[in-house]
Amino acid sequence: MDFTEFKRKLGAEPRSSDPEFLAARDASAEHRDAAMAAERFEERLEQALDIPVPSDLAAGLLDAPGRRQRRRRWPLALAASLVVAVGAAGLVYRSSHSWESVEAYVMDHYRHDGARVLELAADGAAGDVQEILGAFGLQAEPSLAGMVRLVKFCPAPGGKGAHMVLNTESGLVTVFYLPGTRVNDRQMIDFDGRQAMLVSLEHGAAVIVGGTGHSPAAYYTVVHDAIVPVDRRS
Amino acid sequence: MVKAGSTGELSCKFFAFLPVMLSEAQRIKRFEALAREYGADLFRYAMWMCGNEALARDLVQETFLRAWKALHRLQNEKAAKSWLITILRREYARTFERKVPPIANLDTVSEPESGEPGPDEQAEVRLLRAGIASLAEKYREPLLMQVVLGYSCQEIAAELGISKNAVMTQLFRARQQLKENLGKDGTTGDVHGLY
Repeated sequence: MDFTEFKRKLGAEPRSSDPEFLAARDASAEHRDAAMAAERFEERLEQALDIPVPSDLAAGLLDAPGRRQRRRRWPLALAASLVVAVGAAGLVYRSSHSWESVEAYVMDHYRHDGARVLELAADGAAGDVQEILGAFGLQAEPSLAGMVRLVKFCPAPGGKGAHMVLNTESGLVTVFYLPGTRVNDRQMIDFDGRQAMLVSLEHGAAVIVGGTGHSPAAYYTVVHDAIVPVDRRS
Repeated sequence: MVKAGSTGELSCKFFAFLPVMLSEAQRIKRFEALAREYGADLFRYAMWMCGNEALARDLVQETFLRAWKALHRLQNEKAAKSWLITILRREYARTFERKVPPIANLDTVSEPESGEPGPDEQAEVRLLRAGIASLAEKYREPLLMQVVLGYSCQEIAAELGISKNAVMTQLFRARQQLKENLGKDGTTGDVHGLY
């Protein structure tokens, strides 16, 4: 293997176990120096790529849907008052993210994985709502926790949010929790034949996305009242 | 140090002769082994692809939710990593069909506690991170597969659907660009020795 070919191999596969390549490493001082420099570079490259993994990642993944499904057998009771109010004013939106508005975020997010997450929720329960909301210093009151069929972290205008699916009497309902985002309470968004309702919370906002032909307003109270700071749970 | 499959012992023996039909307990055990073995590497891979921690977590969670649902289809345990990466790449592609946010500034990523690199090494690592983030995806992705996931050139070629020679060219160019990026910086100590 000539030096040019050796250098090419070093650049592409510096830790190759190819016998010809390994033999070439000792072919000359030039080969050896190049191999040593390549090894130093690989060590730096590994350090650079070795970004920390969130400490709670494994716990979230290990919360196997099947196990969660067996552990929870909550009744589907829903005690939500019907609040129908349509906000007319524009969105009050505070975020550093690239979405232009909460409306854009809701439509983009729901079109991205709304249907698929509902499908996954229909297949089996997953996630621990207290654990996920706990990451934001929040808890879910039993009225909400008892309905959560699936919960996971998701992208949000402020960085990280939560994506929940509630099992309600009228079917599966999607809720996004958006920390650090302000919205006009109870404003409705119409898109793709469905309605979403913005819920202003003390710490951020939530969005309730109803099914096709179903108003999300029925779940306003339970979402508004049941996502509470950890130290203020009733 | 990035080592693909660093907890490899966990699953190999356990999965040696798994039947396709699993009891619920076996399914959960199998899922947990997959999550433990590949969760961190998938997160790093996703993080380097999208540059956003929340989105990376979402991609990994989505990947494992889908893996849970389709676990019965995984018949060959040796293919588990490749299977998961394929799911993750598909999810990533779906995510960016409409929107391609810029790679975040990874300078803010904290250093792992172990190792305690010196100032020169830290500067090089920062430069490398910036360089990796700015690599074109066609160079960054095979590099991640090789260094983070421990793939061979042949495995990368199979995953990306391109020839092994094309993979080798992309890997060579990826490293070349990163080295050039380091070489542009005159403040670090031994970067020139990296050539």
